[in-house]
Amino acid sequence: MSAFKTGLDDAKRELTFELISGASGLVLALFMWGHVILVGSILTGARGFDWLASSLERYYIAQPTVIVIFILFLVHAVFASRKIPARLRERRAFLDLSKDLQTRSQRRRSDGHLGGFAPHTESMLWIWQVRTGMVVLVLASFHLVLLMIDVLTPMFGEQAGIESATTLARVSGGLWLPYAILLLCVEFHASVGLYRLAIKWGAGKLLSRSTLHLLEQFIFWVVLVLGFVTLLVLAGVMAPPLEFLLSESPI
Amino acid sequence: MNEQSRGSTPRTLTFEIFRFNPEDPESKPHTQIFELEEEPFMSLYIALNRIREQFDPSLQFDFTCRESICGACGMIVNGRPALGCKTLTNNLPEHITLFPLPVFKLVGDLSVDTGTWFRQMVERTEAWIHPDKDFDGNATEEKMSDELSQAIYEGDRCIECGCCIAACGVANVDPEFLGAAGLNRVARFIVDPRDKRTDSEWFEIVAGEQGVFACFGMMACEDICPKDLPLLEVNAYLRRKMLASRFAASNS
Repeated sequence: MSAFKTGLDDAKRELTFELISGASGLVLALFMWGHVILVGSILTGARGFDWLASSLERYYIAQPTVIVIFILFLVHAVFASRKIPARLRERRAFLDLSKDLQTRSQRRRSDGHLGGFAPHTESMLWIWQVRTGMVVLVLASFHLVLLMIDVLTPMFGEQAGIESATTLARVSGGLWLPYAILLLCVEFHASVGLYRLAIKWGAGKLLSRSTLHLLEQFIFWVVLVLGFVTLLVLAGVMAPPLEFLLSESPI
Repeated sequence: MNEQSRGSTPRTLTFEIFRFNPEDPESKPHTQIFELEEEPFMSLYIALNRIREQFDPSLQFDFTCRESICGACGMIVNGRPALGCKTLTNNLPEHITLFPLPVFKLVGDLSVDTGTWFRQMVERTEAWIHPDKDFDGNATEEKMSDELSQAIYEGDRCIECGCCIAACGVANVDPEFLGAAGLNRVARFIVDPRDKRTDSEWFEIVAGEQGVFACFGMMACEDICPKDLPLLEVNAYLRRKMLASRFAASNS
């Protein structure tokens, strides 16, 4: 046996950890898209939002979901963070290296060709994934606990369950700020994470890497804009733009 | 055509070069500035030789083949690992900084010892053919499909210059990590039907603590590879292969 072989058990564990962190990240990222679209029901006004929320609760979809997502969230935090370098000097080395690699060192020659080194961004994106991940860990923990109280107990509002009146009061009362930060960080973390996951397991064979990167950025902006419009409506800054859809008023 | 070949005024290039001789107790790491007039089709190989001839014969750097096949001239050019012989000054701004590759042991100035790192990688992974019978020099060679030999050759194109290792965040903090060059080399033997190692033997080597799952997916290896090797696809192939081999093992 060569010195490198750390044994079958170690290798099995490495594979298991990689699968857990990747799969939990995948599910959470996909959930986030669905989540932003569902909360976007507020764009049709309070009635649309309340109808959707109470339907999801009546059929017991919301209650297990909030618990499962909270568990997955914690599992992902534990298993994905295992790769973050522990020592400060190691993090410093990562940062210096990533900064160097994303520095443009190019020159437009007189023949029109742009020579030299194009910036490499994915290393720096990884560092931003760690940073946003830390913010998400704090803010999403708060958000998830709050929503578990909402969905499972009658502590806030008229009864157990998500209600537009409570949500509007909260967001316009000041929670718009942590929610805006959370939205930005979560969307960044999730879209870059999906792109990285796809490349790691070989999606680069189906779609080119640049196509995947573009797709990631497109989804990032679409979900981010939808999320921010939703937040503006919840904060009371903007009237629900799609309210006419459910309007019962005469012509 | 190249602007320099048309006889326009040549640029004056400023080279900022890392200097340090670990053998000399008086020597302290610092950078030294050299100014040089750009020549047509000037590579860093030519520029460094001019600097050594004109300014400082003690400047240490490695070159052998001058045509990106020996892998000796890897260095950090403006923050990016690259081959000195393949990098033309024409593509770079006037100010060029040159540092030795990190991770590897410094010999002096721009010269590093990549050999020790690659040797330990090869020894740990036993990156050579493991046949199941003794070699018979008189036997007819077994046939191999063109597609398969091309796949093996693609992996063999690696010149082990160490650029991917220098650009890898993980390799920079964990000198034991196999890195893109190591994983590419292992993959080459997995694909090779003459290597008779079993799936579970490969699993221990590739999925181990310093194997493919230690990779963060930062993707710098493929972006800087001077030989344009499909390193991310090799990495993904190994991941899928490891998953499939565990799946098969747990079902049998």
